[in-house]
Amino acid sequence: MAKNIERKVGLFILITTALIVASVVYIAYKKDVFTPTHTYTLSSKSGDNLTEGMPVVFSGFKIGKVEKLELNDNGLVMIRISVPRRHVKWLRTDTRFVLEKPIISTPRIVVTTTNFVHPLLDEQTVREMTVTSDINEIVKMIQPLLDRVNSIATSVDKLTAALASPQGDLSRTLANAQVLTSKLSQKNSLLEMAVADRESVKSVEQALSQVKDITGQINAILKKVDAMAVKTDASLYGQDGALVSVSKILKDLLAKLQKLETTVDNVNRMSTDAVGATGDLKGLRLDLEATIRSINDLAGNIDRLIPLKKEPEIRLP
Amino acid sequence: MAPILKTLGNPFVKNVLSAQETLAFAGVVISKVFSRRSYNSATKTVLVNQIYFTAVEILPLFITVSIIFGSLLIGIVFAVIKDLGLAEYLGSILMGFVVTELAPFITVLLIALRSSSAIDAEIAVMKVNQELNTLSLFNIDVLDYLFVPRIVSGMVSVVLLSWLFSILVLGSGMLFSIFIFGMGLDTYVNALINSTKFSDIVIMLLKCMTFGFFITLIPLRFGLRASHELTSIPVAVLNGMVKVFIAIVIIEVLSLILRFI
Repeated sequence: MAKNIERKVGLFILITTALIVASVVYIAYKKDVFTPTHTYTLSSKSGDNLTEGMPVVFSGFKIGKVEKLELNDNGLVMIRISVPRRHVKWLRTDTRFVLEKPIISTPRIVVTTTNFVHPLLDEQTVREMTVTSDINEIVKMIQPLLDRVNSIATSVDKLTAALASPQGDLSRTLANAQVLTSKLSQKNSLLEMAVADRESVKSVEQALSQVKDITGQINAILKKVDAMAVKTDASLYGQDGALVSVSKILKDLLAKLQKLETTVDNVNRMSTDAVGATGDLKGLRLDLEATIRSINDLAGNIDRLIPLKKEPEIRLP
Repeated sequence: MAPILKTLGNPFVKNVLSAQETLAFAGVVISKVFSRRSYNSATKTVLVNQIYFTAVEILPLFITVSIIFGSLLIGIVFAVIKDLGLAEYLGSILMGFVVTELAPFITVLLIALRSSSAIDAEIAVMKVNQELNTLSLFNIDVLDYLFVPRIVSGMVSVVLLSWLFSILVLGSGMLFSIFIFGMGLDTYVNALINSTKFSDIVIMLLKCMTFGFFITLIPLRFGLRASHELTSIPVAVLNGMVKVFIAIVIIEVLSLILRFI
């Protein structure tokens, strides 16, 4: 019995110890504990967000970790990272080391190599590490927004304080509105509440009624005026409208004036000729007077020769 | 005012003194545990028997409980992780919570329920029956013969069973990840490996050893407090088990503080 118990206990301890050892060794193997590592040194102006054991990542894969952090005599933070031999190929002379500080996840050192033609990074070389911070970038972007939100919040605060205050504008307005609505509920109309006099309301109602009648009359007049305007339009602008006739008359008048212009020209010429002719008129008169006297003399002579006619009459031309 | 202060102060002073005595007793036992002279053939036989009763005999029940509880736990953890979109934290949650915190806690609870109470009752009965005096009369060191094997067995059992519990839970998690959540084996293993820290493993092992030490030491000590009357046995077991659970909580809290400082 005792031997059986010893065997069982021995087996239990053996198996469980083997499990422990195997799992620890497996973890150690997977974590590159048994792999030879290369140590590189980075420098940074600040040790913020840097911790020992922090992962070193290349293309999203962990290729190493921060072994040690030290402060050198110049005040620079010296970061010693260990990289297993099989990952050394990712580190070249043009490799950049950036400390990324994501918003949610933990910080990590991101390795970026663009050209694998360059020689491998020397372990003695001290490379400078740059820092990017998602949080700071976002804070910078959000800062103006936050300022505005802060301003809005202050305004809202003031507004709510004013709203909450019994002496505030809104409270007083509400009180007035309450009084107004209570008064309104007691009156027949808003007008009655406004003028506070029933007689005035009646007058206004009568006036409104009259205005309504006047409006009806004006409407009727406007209809007539409209009809007249239609007729006027037809008489003025229709086919036989006044404007068409006037236009014809004017055209005719224009033609006649053109003709008259010729006549006037002729009259002018005639008057010119008449002016020329008036020069001979005096001689002609003298001749005419001489002729008339001759004729008078002739008639006297005839009367005297022929006394047949008691009152002989001679018509002059 | 004075009676109130006395009422409050008496239990406090008593508990502080009790804790001090327990720690002093622990110091003596630790020196015995690491002393080669404590181990003779009789001690080794008791040690083997104690490990058998504490760890081996409970093994079928423990494995069953571990598989059932572990599967349920892993199922819940996976579902929550999936719902919250925290799949990238799977390894951290499993290693940081299930393996390093929950496995030792469940293990120590099971062993405390089964073995601590048994040890407490056994020593109390031995005290009542004056067997301890008899051992002294035969010049047998009670600490070497009774205490050291039980304490060592407690420490070994908790460490081994906790690790076994972790492996079973992670095995359940592997099955869940492959067959239910369609996650590849490599992905699952890599997630666990990347989240594993040797410091956490060391802290877990130290915590398990501390659990094992105190869940056997306290029952031994309270068993010794039994008088020569039979009625003192349940009182000794009761007080011992209460103190065991208080010790478990204190150790858990201290380990958490140690991990996160």
